[in-house]
Amino acid sequence: MVVFGFLDWFWLFLFIVLMIICGVLFYRLGKRSMSDFFLAGRGLPWWLPAASVYATHSATDTPIWISGVIYQHGLRGIWYTFFSAWCAISAFASTRIFRRSLAYTQAEWQTIRFSGLGAELLRGWIAGWQVFMNMFVLGWVGIAMGKVCHYLFNWPEWLGLILFSSLCAVYVLAAGYWGVVMADFQQGVIAFAVIIIVSIWGIATAGGPHTIIAKINSLGQSWRLNPFAFTGVASGDFPLVWFLTMLVIAVIGGFGMGTSIDWYPEAQRIQSAKTIRDASYSIWAGSALIVIRNSLWAVAILAFFTIYPHISSTAEYEMAWYRLGFEFLPVGLVGFFFAAIVAIHLSTVSTHLNLGASYATRDLYNHYFRPEAGEKELVWVGRISTLIILLGSFIYGMMMQEITQWLIFALWIMAAGIWLPSILQVVWWRFNSWGYLSSWIANLGLSWLVVWVLPEFHVIPVLPDYLQFWTMMVLGALIYIPLTFLTPPEDMNRLVKYYVMSRPLGWWKPVREEAIRKGLEGFSVVQSKGGI
Amino acid sequence: MSWIKTKWTAEEAEQWTKEDYIIFIISPLVYILLAVGLALSLLLLWYGFVILCVGMVLLVIMLKIIDPKLKAVSEDYEVKQREYLEDLEKIARWEE
Repeated sequence: MVVFGFLDWFWLFLFIVLMIICGVLFYRLGKRSMSDFFLAGRGLPWWLPAASVYATHSATDTPIWISGVIYQHGLRGIWYTFFSAWCAISAFASTRIFRRSLAYTQAEWQTIRFSGLGAELLRGWIAGWQVFMNMFVLGWVGIAMGKVCHYLFNWPEWLGLILFSSLCAVYVLAAGYWGVVMADFQQGVIAFAVIIIVSIWGIATAGGPHTIIAKINSLGQSWRLNPFAFTGVASGDFPLVWFLTMLVIAVIGGFGMGTSIDWYPEAQRIQSAKTIRDASYSIWAGSALIVIRNSLWAVAILAFFTIYPHISSTAEYEMAWYRLGFEFLPVGLVGFFFAAIVAIHLSTVSTHLNLGASYATRDLYNHYFRPEAGEKELVWVGRISTLIILLGSFIYGMMMQEITQWLIFALWIMAAGIWLPSILQVVWWRFNSWGYLSSWIANLGLSWLVVWVLPEFHVIPVLPDYLQFWTMMVLGALIYIPLTFLTPPEDMNRLVKYYVMSRPLGWWKPVREEAIRKGLEGFSVVQSKGGI
Repeated sequence: MSWIKTKWTAEEAEQWTKEDYIIFIISPLVYILLAVGLALSLLLLWYGFVILCVGMVLLVIMLKIIDPKLKAVSEDYEVKQREYLEDLEKIARWEE
């Protein structure tokens, strides 16, 4: 338990009041239309969504997870956190294409890229899945906050979960995405400042960089200082093939949409940027901040390792960064530190509340139940959806102990088998809605087989995670590629319209030729140069 | 860098060109160099500062290459955006 002084409480209350007021101030803008409530009117300069990308992906569980991999693996552990690098290419490829589509959500994009029943099935599936996923993520990060409050103040876990998520809901309900993004900016600045302060403080407490290096060397663990300390090509706990697989997944994944679970909140930020250029820079810069943040954390955790080098309990060393703050910061700054943790938490909660509500409102209510609904009605449905998702997250949060393992598995299978189809839907004109839909379904079955059922019956050995990825990718392709060719291509008129609007990269020659044949504007250059 | 195009018409900027492909290589490299360079610099290792500097130089080069093109794409697209938004509403409301 940590004891707060007057100054600690002062910082905490000041920050909470500022965060909530900052969000509520934008009430009038948020209620103007659905576009305002979910996309801030599509008019933000790049640095606002960039701060939101950074703030959203700094959650209460993030330092716990990063502390774990760095304490265990040393500096090479930064590669476990490198999946956010999908934005390196996405910012200049899929972000550009998606921003041009103007889709509110990834679910809506399916009905712009594809047509007919397959497109509608995809839209309904992705919308429903995203409503569930956002509730789940809120429950997950909410209960992590409950655990932090239990550790600090001995509160029951449900109190930390409900209290802070409810405070956050005040400004999300009032101002929608305007409140989210404005509060995210403020929270992102506070969180980044505190991450720098605590990390540098931790390094200094350990005796400074030279002492840290000397201690690690004296422990005979100099490999911890090498980010490229592979344990072999395919052997050990950090093989080269794992690293290469991670790079392929992260970097090449940037050509697709939905190759990372983080694509969905980023899609909202992309559409809220005022121009294509702003959208690109927001995604690139937001993720660059995440990469920089991870390196700061990594060195701070190395410092912690030199102070406590023999912790074997995962649960204990995963709290490394929090312990640096709460054990070593002076009284007065501890409250500042906790206020930053609250900021980190609220920025993640606000995003997922608003994002889940956008799928419920735009894709389910507006598209399937009330296509004729007016703007005022849709804003109210957005608010009611926000409230339902908040209440659902409390239930998920309280159930989390029992279901976490199952849901982490569900997250993994969602990401692994649809990685390649999520790229193909962007870069290959012939890939159709039935191909994409079948890849989702095939992935559900294959992942159970490859990860659990076949190893359990000794048909195949238990595969390392990078081999599971490649196996599921190949097996999945054996299903969705034939199915794509056995079903007709998408309606050519829809494809041409999509092509002219979005200008996708990759293999689009028949569509491009049809667009030229129809005499659409802007194709003289294409015609003369004979390329995309 | 005369082989890098810095003046774009809207039509030219809409195509995927060598400038985009160069960025697809440089951009992940910048992330890797920033991540490794910053971590090693915080440990005051000289090669950390070198890696960090290379990352920052590449970042500047990246922006010099891609920014003129992104500006041209954006300016042209914003003119058409209103019409596209109307189409989007038609799909959402089953009018198309």
